[in-house]
Amino acid sequence: MEELELESILELARGHDADALAELYRRYARRVFGLCRYLMGSTEPAEDATSEVFLKLQRSIDSYDGSVPFPSWLLRVASNHCIDALRRKQRERQVIGEPEADSAPLEVAGPGPSPLSEVISAEQQAAIRQAIARLPENYRVPLVLRYYSDLGYDEIAQRLGLKRDHVATLLFRAKRELRRVLARGRE
Amino acid sequence: MDCFSELTYAILVDGELAVEDARQVRNHLAACSRCRELVETLRAENRVLKEVLRELPQEAGERAGLAWFPRSWVWGDLAVVATMLALGAAVSQWFDEQRVPEVLEWLNPFSSAGGMNLIFNLSYYFGHGGADVLTHYADIVGWLSLLGLLGSSALLLGRRWRRSRSGLCLLTVLLSLSLPSIALERRHSEFVTVAANETVDDSLVAAGNTVRIEGVVNGDLLAFGRTVEVSGTVKGDLLTWAQRTEVHGTVEGHIYTFSQSLDVGGQVGRSIYAWVQSLRVDDKGHVGDGIVAGAADVGLEGDVMRSVTVFASSADVSGSIGRDLTMTGGNLTLANSARVGGNLTARVHRQEEVHIADGATIGGKRDIQVQVKKTRFAHPKFYFFQAVRLLAAMLVGWLGLVLFPGFFQGTTQAVGAGWRSVGLGFAVLVGAPVAMIVGVATLAGIPVALMLLALYLAAIYLAKVWVGAFLGKILLKRATATTRDWLLGLLVGLLIITVAGFIPYAGGLIRFAVVCLGLGAFAWQLYRASQPIATT
Repeated sequence: MEELELESILELARGHDADALAELYRRYARRVFGLCRYLMGSTEPAEDATSEVFLKLQRSIDSYDGSVPFPSWLLRVASNHCIDALRRKQRERQVIGEPEADSAPLEVAGPGPSPLSEVISAEQQAAIRQAIARLPENYRVPLVLRYYSDLGYDEIAQRLGLKRDHVATLLFRAKRELRRVLARGRE
Repeated sequence: MDCFSELTYAILVDGELAVEDARQVRNHLAACSRCRELVETLRAENRVLKEVLRELPQEAGERAGLAWFPRSWVWGDLAVVATMLALGAAVSQWFDEQRVPEVLEWLNPFSSAGGMNLIFNLSYYFGHGGADVLTHYADIVGWLSLLGLLGSSALLLGRRWRRSRSGLCLLTVLLSLSLPSIALERRHSEFVTVAANETVDDSLVAAGNTVRIEGVVNGDLLAFGRTVEVSGTVKGDLLTWAQRTEVHGTVEGHIYTFSQSLDVGGQVGRSIYAWVQSLRVDDKGHVGDGIVAGAADVGLEGDVMRSVTVFASSADVSGSIGRDLTMTGGNLTLANSARVGGNLTARVHRQEEVHIADGATIGGKRDIQVQVKKTRFAHPKFYFFQAVRLLAAMLVGWLGLVLFPGFFQGTTQAVGAGWRSVGLGFAVLVGAPVAMIVGVATLAGIPVALMLLALYLAAIYLAKVWVGAFLGKILLKRATATTRDWLLGLLVGLLIITVAGFIPYAGGLIRFAVVCLGLGAFAWQLYRASQPIATT
């Protein structure tokens, strides 16, 4: 099974072949979990989400038409699943809120060197990961969709039910927040 | 030409700027080195983000540099111990505060007399108020809250299995402690009587308006009622929750009681542990071991073979105590007939509060410590205790955050719902005891009621942690939710709550509001956490 081409595995998986599905899990579980971990904010729900995504795969694999690479398709399924889960979890308030009207105006260019852009050590990388993981949901989710799943603004906007401009603002604020947290961590 | 906003550059770097806009921006960049530098920085930032996101973040425990600890038990057990310590500190502080408002004590729900009045009156009002409507209300509301709280805790525990192993251990202990009571003989009616010629061979659990034991109970007696009277014999221990507990017969074991009044005019084989408003051992009363009691009034006319330790606002001793007498609180009077075999230790506020008649015999040392009650704010001990309480609350908060990060932050956030939290909190504050009483009254629910009680007390304690954290978060205006921010907020919030709690008159109300807010947020979060994640 391990040396088989992805195509053949997918073919077998479409026929609900248990070994093929297990192989897909072996190959992609880590990436799916990584995405879920960032989107959900903590390990346990991420584990749940990962197993649910692969459970669903048995049924949803029929809808995979090969128009995008399988990993991208799978990550898209996973991010949709996580966004749904987050929505359900916090049904009463909008998960990915519109940016607040009263928050500070967007500043003009010139923030100086960013702690995010310097050459960074493993330790600093870990600190950035922590900071991302602890961002509020409305910052974290767009950020992860953009830089982990490589989605465009339009796609993010559509998934989260937001306007395109708001996605840009949220991403911008998310990065600014990261800089702030990291800069404070260095003081 | 003016520079564009950083947001515009960020969109450009993401490759998401409209073609025409991008052209204009590029034109500007060609001319402005400062903006070019900024764009480079933003590009580098994106690269770092993508690179960093390839790996997963470390977990909380590892972050704290404590990865080598087996989290599952160390943290859990530490949390349990810290909670116990914190609760202990709170209770001892409560004891310490008993003597403050003497005349109006019965009005203050945070004093023992007032709390007692409130609890008993409320419970009997609901339980035996006579009004059918209220009985029904208590039944329905009680059961609903009981089921709701139990169901949600079960779901929560189920979902959080790995992280709440210690909680489950506690649950198991509580269950195992309380399960035997199910197997015992149970009686439940308006009047539960064990007649003079009757013998109950097993332990007996009795609930009713009046529980009267004229015969013999060979095991323990657990009694819940307005009045519990033992004129016969209980061979085991006597455990009561009652407005009035009277023992004129014999209890061969210990007496554990939470009552408004306990009168002992008979024989008690072992010790008495009582949390009561009034405790009296009359001249026919005989206690084979010692007494440990928290009470407003204590009267000892009979014999106690060993030591007596009381926390009371007034204690009168005219009987005999085999060993030491230790009293903390207000007035202490030893009559001529009083005899203390060991040392007498009294911690009082004024020398004149201690009256020792000339004829009283004291075998050991007399140690009368006058604790000058200028104002408690002038007392270093006061600040020490406050600091200890604050630290305990911080520790509990921190452990809670480490163990249940999502739940704790969610609860903190739920405090922000304001009136929803207050309303829900008040309902839980009043409803949970009703549920517990109904649970106890139906007996099958005793273990559940005990667990609920533990949860209830823990939540009342934690209320200030959640409210404090919320308050701090607002004041510090931190949008992020890092552990450090949360704890800093907690510190600030707790300080404010503590100080506000000492404002005369309003302080009590503030503390009450904090409890309601926190409880409400907790209940809400419990409800939300129990929402199943449905598969689609």
